[in-house]
Order: sequence, then structure tokens, then C-alpha cells
Amino acid sequence: MSDDQPQKRRSIGAELIIPIAGLVFTLYYFTTIYDSPWTAQVAAFFVGAILIGLILLFIGRTAILVSRGRADLGMKDIIEPLSFLPIRMGLIGLTVLFSIAIDWGGFTLTTFVFMTLSMIMLNRGRSKWLAVTVAACFSVAGYLLFIVAFEIRFPEGPFEELMKTVF
Amino acid sequence: MDAGAGIILSVFLNTLSYWWVILPTIFLGLIVGAIPGFSAANTIIILLPLTLAMELEMGLVFMVALYASSRMGAGVPAILVNIPGTAGAAATPLDGYPMAKQGRGQQALAMSFVASTLGGLLTTILAILMMPWLAEVAFVMHSVEMIVVMLFGISLIATIASRDTLKGLIAGFLGLMIGFIGADHVYATPRGTMGFLELYDGIPLIPALVGLFAVSEAFLVIEGESMLTSVGREAMKKASWKETIEGCRIALSKWWHIVWTSIIGLVVGVVPGAGAAIASFVAYQQSKSFSKTPELYGTGHPEGLIAPESANNGVTSGTLIPLLVIGIPGGATAAIMLVVMQYHGVSFGPALFRNQPEIGYGMFMVMAVTYLIMTLTILPLSRYMSRVTMVSTAYMAPLIISFTLVGSFVPRQYMFDMYLALAFGILGYVARKTGYHVAAILIGVILGPLLEQYFLRAMKMANGDISVLFSSNIGNVLWVFLALSLLVPYGLDWRRRRANRAAIEAPED
Repeated sequence: MSDDQPQKRRSIGAELIIPIAGLVFTLYYFTTIYDSPWTAQVAAFFVGAILIGLILLFIGRTAILVSRGRADLGMKDIIEPLSFLPIRMGLIGLTVLFSIAIDWGGFTLTTFVFMTLSMIMLNRGRSKWLAVTVAACFSVAGYLLFIVAFEIRFPEGPFEELMKTVF
Repeated sequence: MDAGAGIILSVFLNTLSYWWVILPTIFLGLIVGAIPGFSAANTIIILLPLTLAMELEMGLVFMVALYASSRMGAGVPAILVNIPGTAGAAATPLDGYPMAKQGRGQQALAMSFVASTLGGLLTTILAILMMPWLAEVAFVMHSVEMIVVMLFGISLIATIASRDTLKGLIAGFLGLMIGFIGADHVYATPRGTMGFLELYDGIPLIPALVGLFAVSEAFLVIEGESMLTSVGREAMKKASWKETIEGCRIALSKWWHIVWTSIIGLVVGVVPGAGAAIASFVAYQQSKSFSKTPELYGTGHPEGLIAPESANNGVTSGTLIPLLVIGIPGGATAAIMLVVMQYHGVSFGPALFRNQPEIGYGMFMVMAVTYLIMTLTILPLSRYMSRVTMVSTAYMAPLIISFTLVGSFVPRQYMFDMYLALAFGILGYVARKTGYHVAAILIGVILGPLLEQYFLRAMKMANGDISVLFSSNIGNVLWVFLALSLLVPYGLDWRRRRANRAAIEAPED
């Protein structure tokens, strides 16, 4: 507990992702309004200039912390806890696939497959049949409530086409 | 439009006779309000053929009850799983969700129901009594005044940013820049659309809401066994009916808070196009500014939950005033009601209240009766609803992702909106993991385009003269209030610190 004990260095590299993305987006935005009428420019130039100023301040603050050895540019914040990294990446991957596949797979079938795979993965392979049952119940309940009862236009696929012959 | 007691009583009894329509509609409203994308407006549009076929009174009872109950329903997932059902509930999770994580979800729900009911009831009564004067608000709120109202909401970014000002401001201003995507409001020049035609109308709100709150939350909650903290889990296991009663008691003890924040909602609701999101952000910001314990906001503070919930329910009665008095709908749901009423040949203005009081006053009465019935039906359910937080995240996360992503598809039926929600989800995940507040980004996305629209309109009318912003008396009064609301908290904080210092330095007896 003595003062001589070296302070723990914070990893703040991940904190730069949003400011840098914001900077890139703002500069891109400016290129799209460069030749536009003033009505299209005024608010964006005003807000964008403030945002760039804030981002530069943040980068400056980060640089000072790193140069004084109180922080490093590690990305720990965004990937920790490491034990969940593969599962999280898997869930993000399945979500991307779900968003793409639902266009031709339809709501019911794609939701069932997505929920089953995600639940099994998140349960680390345990309770497979429970996952299948829960996924089946919710996807069918969603189909009956939203598509059949409320007639909401959801993405349609083979299951919905087949069911049209029934309902 | 003076309401006689006899007329009001007969309208009240007439409305009560429709309990059999109101009761099932409440449950439908709670469901559609709770799922992002399935707003009351969308549901009424879907059921429009049915509503048009109904007799007028019954159709209006159905629509108004659905509108009021969906507003309350939107707060339920906002509190329990950090997913606001509509943009109007976007400020609810700021303090509601921390309460749920601490195992006080049941208490939070009870507080939210009481605040919503009292806020809704009070503003309904005020609307009936003060309709002619409140309708004037719609006439005096022009572009300049609306700019100041928007700034009230946007100043919440600074309030949220209080823990790390720089990060909070970056998040808020990034949200504003994202909100500027789309065609400009005067010449329709596309800006920042990255070539996507789907973005020409601007960033759609539901995918932003779904991504920033729901999808990012789902990617995060998998780290825990359930959405609760370990302390929260223990608290939930011991929870009994006392929690509901305690929630009601806390909300009732803050009755004055409910009164003034719901009036903010009523006034904002009267202004066409303003809406519940602005009202709840403004109410939250004002509530924190004038609170004796502003440092507790964001940690599960009852006032931080009560303020947005009373305000967004206050909006509900507010939006009906311009519709009934001048035939201008205050929001999307009111616009659909206008269509139904016109289809049935209803005339608006003083004639409506003179010739068909059962319609004019009846719509407000339906709202009041709906709130009363809702309290009786939903409060007992709070104990069971809060159990959702105990469900394993292995089941919860995929459910949240699949149903909310599809919900983002519903309003415009573009597959693009699902991809957009996913992109916002990843942005939200990075923001949460690195200490940027997603609510600050969302405030920017919601209020940015509105602020720009009113600003451009004011500038066009004044031929580019910036002094127009200080040209209206009401606007100037609002500017003073805005300045006061931003400065007074610092003054109060300074006084508090000075008093504390004096207490520490005072010699002990």
C-alpha cells in the first residue's frame, strides 16, 4: 500500500475507437456538403467543427496520459473478459448471418435456427433440447401473433409460404 | 368549450360502459408498446380497416386506450431489460434499468405505473379544463421557440456527460452528426448518406433505438448469468408484494415531482411534431437540474425514473388538444385518429364540443378511464413481470436480438433497417464498453434533425439574420429559463459544498 508502488496503467486504446470513427465520419460528411447550398451546410459545419475540436482535445488528453506512462494504447476494454470473447464473436457472427438469411429464409425459420444455435452456444453446448424447444415455441408464437393475428408484414420465406395454404 | 359537470359525468358513465373494449385493448397496448417497432400508430394503421368499420365511439375508445396503454407499455422493457419500446421511453432506462439490476425491478415498475397513471390522469383533467388556453400554445410555438425547447432536450447531453464531460460531449455531438444524415430540409440535398437511398429520409429512429439499446445490451449481458447483479439476484429471490407497495409509496411521496414533470409533457405534447422523446428528455434534464441529489441520477434514483414516465404520459393528452381544437394532429397516432374521425364526418373545433361532447370530451375521458383500469390491472402484474430479469441470459440475449431486429424492419419494411440496427448495435457495444453513454448518442440522433429543421426554417424566414433567435418574447423567456436551468444546478452545488465545508470547519461543542 505504499506510495512507491507503481500505479496500474490503464489501457485506453479502445476509447479512441468512437472519436476516430466520429472524426472519419465528420470529414466524410463535410465532403458530401462541400458544394451544397448553405442550408445543407450550416448545421453540419457548426456541429462538426465542435465535434472535431472535442475529438482533438480527447486525443491530446490520451497522448498526455500515454506519454506520462499512466496509460497505454491497449484494447483490453473492448475484448475483456477474454473467456467470453469467442462466444461474443460467435453471437455477433450469428446475428450478422441472421440479418442476411432472414430475407430469403423468412421470419419463423430463420428465427428458429438463430435462436437454437445461439442458445446452444451461449449454454456452451448444454441443454440442447431445451434450447430447441424454447426457440421453436417463441418463433411459432411470433409467427402466430404477428403474422397470422396482426397481419404484420414480416420477412417471408418457405415456412410462411407453406402456411399460407393453411391460414 | 366550457365543460358542464353534468356533461362530464354523463360522458364518464358512457365511457365506463366501454370497459369491455378498454380492458383487452390495454393488454394489446402493453404488448405493442413494449416491442420496439410495434408502436400504437403502427398497430392502429394495421387495424385501420377494423377501426373504420366500428361505430365511431367504439373506434375512438379502442384507439385512445391503445395509445395510452402503449405509452405505459414502452416503459416496461426499458426498466427491466434496458430496451425502450418507443423513443418516448428512451430516458426511462437511465435510472429504471440500474434499479432493475439491483433487484428493484418490481419497485421500479410500480413507481413507473403510478407515475404514468397519475401523470396521465392529471394531464387529462388539465386538458379538459384548460383546453382553449392550451391550444394557444400550438399557435405561439414557432420555429424560434421550438429551437429553445430542443436545446432543453439537447442540454441533457451535458447532464449525462457529467461523469466524463469530454466523452459525453463527443457521444452527443456524434449523435447530432448522425442525425444530420439525409436530405436537407430546404433543397433536399443528400448529405452523408454513403450512397444509400434508404438514408435520404434521414436515420430512421427505430433501428437506432434497437441497435443502441437492445442489440448492444444483448452482446453485453451474456457476460452474466442473468441481467441482475449478484446482489440484485439475492434481492429478487426475497422479493414479495411489499416491493410493489414500496414502489407505490415512493412514487406517491414524490407527487409534486409527478405533477410538474407531467405538465412539461402536456405542454410539449400540445406542440405538433414535438413528441414524447423530447418531453421525457426535457423532463429528465429539468428534474436533475433542480434535484437536491443530482449525483444520484443514473444510479437508480426514483426521481430519474418518475420524471420521464410522467412526462411521456403527459404528452398523450397533450397531442389530442391541437387535434380536437384546431384539427392539427400532434403526433403520428393523433394523425391516424384524425383520418378515422374525418371518415365518420366529425367536425373539429368548438362545434365538436358543442354538438358532440361525447366525442370531444369522451376522448379525454377514455384516457382517464384507461389509466384507472390500467392501474388496477397492471400493478398486481409488476411482481411477475420483474421476474423476466431472472431469466438466463443464454435465452434472453437471442430472444432480444431476433425480436428487436425484426421490429426494426416493421415500420418501413426495408431489410436495410435491420442492417442499420445491427450497425448501431456494434456502435452501442463499443460505446458501452469504452465508457461513452448510448443515451447521449440517441438524444443527438432524435433531436439533431428536428433542431436543424426548425433552425433552417427560422433562418429562411429571417433571410439569414441570426438575431431572429432572440426576436420573440416567448422565445426570450424560454432562453432565460434555459440559461437558468443550466446555471442554477452549479449555483446549488456551490452552495451545498460551501455548507458542507462550513459544517466540517465548525468547532465541535
